[in-house]
Amino acid sequence: MTDLMREYSRRQFLKVTGAASLALGMGGIAAACANVASSPSAPASAAPGAGSSSGAGASAAAAASAAPTGTFNWMTWGDHWYQAQVDTIAANNNIKANSTLFSDNIDAYTKLKQVGGQLDMVSGDALWVPHYFESGLIEAWDINSLKVASQLYSIARSFPIWTKPEGYLGYPFGWSPVQIYYDPAKVSPAPDSWEVLLDPKYKGRVVVEDQPVEIMAYMGKFAGVVNAYSMTPEEIAKAKDLLKQLKPNILRLANQATDTIAALKTGEAWIATGNLGTESRVKDQGGPDLNVFTPKEGTIGWMDSEMVVKGGANENLIMPFLELAEQAEYIAANFILNGRPLFNEKAYGILVNQGQQERADRFLYNKPETVQTMDLKGPGTSTQAVIDAFNEVFGS
Amino acid sequence: MTADTASAADVAPLAGPRPGLRRRLERAAPFLPGLAMLTLLFVIPMFIMLAFSFWKTNSSFDLVRDWNLNNYARFFNQPTYIRTFAKTLVMASAVTAAGLAISLPFTYFLVRYVSRRFQRAVLLAVIVPFWTSYLLRVYAWQAILGEKGALNQFLMATGIIQQPSTLFVYNDLAVFVVLIYVYFPFAALALYAALEKFDFTQLNAAQDLGARPDQAFRHILLPQIRTGIITACIFVFIPILGEFLTPTLVGGASGSLIANLIVNFTRQGQFPEGAALAIVIAVFVTILLVVFRRSLRVEDVVARG
Amino acid sequence: MANRASALDTMPVSPLAQQTRGCLSVVAGATLVFLYLPIVFLVLFSIEPADTPGFPITGITLHWYEKMLADSAIHSALFNSVVVAVVVALIATTIGTMAAFPLVRGGIRFPGAARILFTLPIMIPGVLIGLGLLVFITLLGIKLGLHTVIAGHLVFTTPFVVLIVAARLQGFDRRLEWAAADLGASNRQTLRHIVLPLIAPAIIAGALLSVTLSIDEFVVTFFTIGPQLTLPLYIITQIKFGVTPEVNALATVILVVTLTVFGVGSVLLGTGRRFRRKDAA
Repeated sequence: MTDLMREYSRRQFLKVTGAASLALGMGGIAAACANVASSPSAPASAAPGAGSSSGAGASAAAAASAAPTGTFNWMTWGDHWYQAQVDTIAANNNIKANSTLFSDNIDAYTKLKQVGGQLDMVSGDALWVPHYFESGLIEAWDINSLKVASQLYSIARSFPIWTKPEGYLGYPFGWSPVQIYYDPAKVSPAPDSWEVLLDPKYKGRVVVEDQPVEIMAYMGKFAGVVNAYSMTPEEIAKAKDLLKQLKPNILRLANQATDTIAALKTGEAWIATGNLGTESRVKDQGGPDLNVFTPKEGTIGWMDSEMVVKGGANENLIMPFLELAEQAEYIAANFILNGRPLFNEKAYGILVNQGQQERADRFLYNKPETVQTMDLKGPGTSTQAVIDAFNEVFGS
Repeated sequence: MTADTASAADVAPLAGPRPGLRRRLERAAPFLPGLAMLTLLFVIPMFIMLAFSFWKTNSSFDLVRDWNLNNYARFFNQPTYIRTFAKTLVMASAVTAAGLAISLPFTYFLVRYVSRRFQRAVLLAVIVPFWTSYLLRVYAWQAILGEKGALNQFLMATGIIQQPSTLFVYNDLAVFVVLIYVYFPFAALALYAALEKFDFTQLNAAQDLGARPDQAFRHILLPQIRTGIITACIFVFIPILGEFLTPTLVGGASGSLIANLIVNFTRQGQFPEGAALAIVIAVFVTILLVVFRRSLRVEDVVARG
Repeated sequence: MANRASALDTMPVSPLAQQTRGCLSVVAGATLVFLYLPIVFLVLFSIEPADTPGFPITGITLHWYEKMLADSAIHSALFNSVVVAVVVALIATTIGTMAAFPLVRGGIRFPGAARILFTLPIMIPGVLIGLGLLVFITLLGIKLGLHTVIAGHLVFTTPFVVLIVAARLQGFDRRLEWAAADLGASNRQTLRHIVLPLIAPAIIAGALLSVTLSIDEFVVTFFTIGPQLTLPLYIITQIKFGVTPEVNALATVILVVTLTVFGVGSVLLGTGRRFRRKDAA
């Protein structure tokens, strides 16, 4: 939808509001709210660090004066952008990102396969990225043709899984391993293995994310499996046995990261698996001091990127947009907001200057090579068998 | 718009040179938009999904047109699916019964004792909270029922219990309670629509003629709102067969209902597998409703004629 | 249906009836508490500084309200959700009410099958409805947008309207219509002045259910939406970070506004109707 159309439909809507029933009154207020909020003064308060980032937007705008303008469609995660960032780019450079969100890679993959060029840019994880490419859904391109790419850690520009003869498959964004968080006041001796999740001492005290394939993957890591997303039937059987031991320890399955944090904060849970930064968020909310470790058997993790959709109607806007949106100032602000490591090295420098080094280092921001030690999220070959096993344990 | 032609047909027995066809068309006309909508947006897509359910997902998450019955066999081969489905039926029945037990007195009170002026206001006050995000409302339930939650703090402050209890949430009981909460408006609205037309003076008349209040209730009120009650049951029972979010959020590790097992497949791109399981259940429920429509007394609502 | 309340008022009330009434008012009160308890906490968490819901409450802040007011993504998401819900409710209620007539009064060849057809969408999980529709829409070459979301929502909202209106029509006293016709009313007049007022509660209930179902639907919405957001889409997809009380703040505002508008509105409407009725009498 273009601005004009949105404005038009909003006005239409208000007209209907006046005429029709009381039910519409609520919508009218909503629409009024929306109008107020899209006024230029709004973005400033939307995010910490927004002030510094508008500077970046302005300078980049000057550099790219002849760039194309318009609106493109982006299917992504909610943490890949923040409002002040896209608002600033829309205001200064006339490149507007219409975003729609998804939660799981497979959902985005399924949808993109259907709608193709209706979208222009899609975010995706680790091994999903080459899978998108092999399915003919995205384009490979020369990442070094983007000036902003020089701000990335060099390792992020040359991940073998994202390198094809035709070019690079995605613009690297962020990453995280799955780690174990625990309350040292309740859990001792200090654990170093996945085994702690299964310890009968912690019955009903463990929170894991509600992701069957991931849970089975780290049960697989515990069982010594090499490739946690493509397990053999024997390996799945082993992981399933471990899962049976895990089940009584589970307090709840976390639907969102907030669920894990809430349970750790209140002390209802003592141990949880989660992405980098969980302990800081728990602490920030007034919860207990938590310890964190990466299990010695190895772990799983994700790293994501922005992919260019093949045949996207507004493809010409993607590179100019990335050139602006991936600037270190925005990325540093995003780190502050969402708290997990990103691939922009220059942003790390900004964080150090802002006195955030301790936090950034704790989140492994300066150690992007860690991604090479994780079993990367991706479309494995054992998914169906793994779900069968999971269902047998978690069904009645 | 066209609904008037339906009633016209009854009043005017003969309405044209070719009464049979014309009359039939006129009477059926109001049905056509709904039928067209469902055919286009539901029946055709369902045939697509039905075809999918006989295919398979390959290891690169693409659907392969390799006709087979494996996805259906899964339900019958692995006892966990039948057991979980049985549990789901029990849960759905329990929630339906409890939901009725709460919503019937509530709507009865509303319709009989609240002045008409405030009736709709109260009804709206009941429904409107359900227009906020389900996720937020369930988070609130977690904060109420949790070990450190409001209920425990209240019980400890009043000295009823000494230690916080972990029994209020992350189990089947919590799923039961929250499901009653979630489906209350569905039951209440169905009952309201039925009760609102009931003439309560009939109850007084029956009692004047010597009926006990419970007799009057059973023999006068219940028969007249029977279709409303069955509709309420359908509105609660059937959607619960597809409930997965509530068990995930408050059911803990052992709260899974059948839809959780289905969603585990569909959320990982295993659509044929999930579709087959869902179709098995839909077929089962349909057969249940049709075969037992007399004994379940749903024939007026589900399959009259 | 007319003056039942006043008829009751003038009738002698037995002690038993009074007892029943007392009991029922306690039950009704308890039910309201049950329904509003989570809402109280939902509102409480919107003024709590911590960004995860839970106890203890650490303070009071309007931070989340400020954030919500400044977040244009959430506003357009809300706007889209409301547009979809209102349009869906209007269409579903119209075609659902229409479909209920021949279903109850005959005129279609296989009423039993038709009723099953209208019950099926309630039985089928959203992912099948959504994905099936997505594949079909793509086959037709239609672009995704809010119109396709509306199409998707119609599938599972219309059946609720049909069933609830059909239940009301069942046992509807046709003699009222015939009497009106005898007195010279046209079909249209009979419909408007006799039939619709009598089934109005069911139509309203159906519309309310449609809104309830549509405004919080995620799965079907995901598969059928274009490059837009709706509120549930915004909320459910925040898996990696989790939703913040910003959405609680929004929910609180929506709730207060809707309740006020509806409360005042329906009381006023009720008053107006009473006056009209008095005038008529």
